[in-house]
Amino acid sequence: MRETIQVILIVFLILSAIGVSVTKNLFMAVIVFMGYSSIMAVIWLLLEAPDLSITQAAVGVGVDSILFFLTLKKIHQIKGTEEG
Amino acid sequence: MREIIAGIFICLGVIVFVISVFGVFRLRYILNKIHSAALGDTLGLALIVIGLIVLQTEALQILKLFFIVLFFWISAPIATHMIAKLETLTNESYEERVKDK
Amino acid sequence: MEWRMWLQKIKDWVDGYTVMIDADMYIANRKRREKWDWRSIIDFIYEKDLHKLHNTLCVMCCVAFIGVMLLVVNDLPQYGNVNNPANNEVSVRYVEEGLEETGAVNLVTGMILDYRAFDTFAEANVLFLSVMGVLFLLKTDKKNDDKQQQMVRKKDAEMEAIEQKPIRQIGAKYLTPFILLYGIYIVINGHISPGGGFAGGVIMGGGMIFYATAFGKEKMEQIFTFRSFANISVGSLLTYFVCKSYSFFTGANHVGWEVPKGVAGNILSAGLILPLNICVGLVVACTMYGFYALYTKGDI
Repeated sequence: MRETIQVILIVFLILSAIGVSVTKNLFMAVIVFMGYSSIMAVIWLLLEAPDLSITQAAVGVGVDSILFFLTLKKIHQIKGTEEG
Repeated sequence: MREIIAGIFICLGVIVFVISVFGVFRLRYILNKIHSAALGDTLGLALIVIGLIVLQTEALQILKLFFIVLFFWISAPIATHMIAKLETLTNESYEERVKDK
Repeated sequence: MEWRMWLQKIKDWVDGYTVMIDADMYIANRKRREKWDWRSIIDFIYEKDLHKLHNTLCVMCCVAFIGVMLLVVNDLPQYGNVNNPANNEVSVRYVEEGLEETGAVNLVTGMILDYRAFDTFAEANVLFLSVMGVLFLLKTDKKNDDKQQQMVRKKDAEMEAIEQKPIRQIGAKYLTPFILLYGIYIVINGHISPGGGFAGGVIMGGGMIFYATAFGKEKMEQIFTFRSFANISVGSLLTYFVCKSYSFFTGANHVGWEVPKGVAGNILSAGLILPLNICVGLVVACTMYGFYALYTKGDI
């Protein structure tokens, strides 16, 4: 049971990692990257590393995506903002 | 007896989650997608956590699970509201999309 | 006639005149060997329309890399095997005597803040240096500022003054204290339960970012200014260094002066791990909020 869950999670992890690089819309790529980070946090938890899991969830989903969104706003890449 | 009740609740929650994910993929417009995603975030999560609360015996664990639902119910609507606000402010053809067809 | 020419040449050589001119002529008239320029590759690629194939090239590189990685994974020892080279005396020592030597129930924290405390110090320094780099790049300078930037900033300030965000403000008002409390809990319980300085600091920084998005610049400046940012981050780095540098003076073995360990499992235990955790958490929280503030308004 546990191994099945791990295999499913790793398949999703690889799929989302490929998705990040394939997606042309940068906004979408950041959201897919958030999904990648949360899956990674669950995998750390299953590998019995709760410290890493907490840090991965907080950094990958919270702070990283905020910084990415702010960067996209700075370079006018989000649809609907000025000049872009 | 306790396991059966918990199982029923968790199954209901998973069914709601499946419906909400299906809706996110099926519906086309962002506001409809938000409506569908919020279903899973609020009702599905609450049902699953109620199932887990039935299984627990310690008071502290029940309190922690209760807090998970509480914070999710406060924070998820705010995030959803932000997405909807961004859509209504930035999409130029918003009025046409919202009209009845 | 051949020998006459040679004779003439020898005469000239003795005089030391025309031979030199010959050499100069040679240097001036020699053909330059064309230096190979790597930019010619790009011209070649554009000539043959090869640049339209970059997708294919990308996928091929990825496949080759994945193949190499899979080969390496295939040669790795089995996961969880007893005879793996990672299972040596170091980890045995950590597992068996870590609790006694560091006083921390959570062995990971005991490792990164006691045995490997200098590594953690360098990591905190890396965060601090990165926020310094962003500061140099993005901080707005009021003395030399062009008009376009001033216009953009004025427009942003007007937009922020007009925009009404009651839902976000109510949410931030009730949620931010609990987020900060949770971050502080994780930092303080770092040596007892999973967590520690980095995770708790990031959560605290996230709470501050949430508050700043809801209430804007002016409300945040009442609590957290540039001066307090500098004081807190520099002060906690210095505290960390002073706390840990006593190892230098005692021969890196903590001989002679030991911090009392206390009862393992209490919050006030495990020697210096608790203050070090608090220092790391403060630095990380300041860094995260500093990134956000510098990216949005160019000032902390």
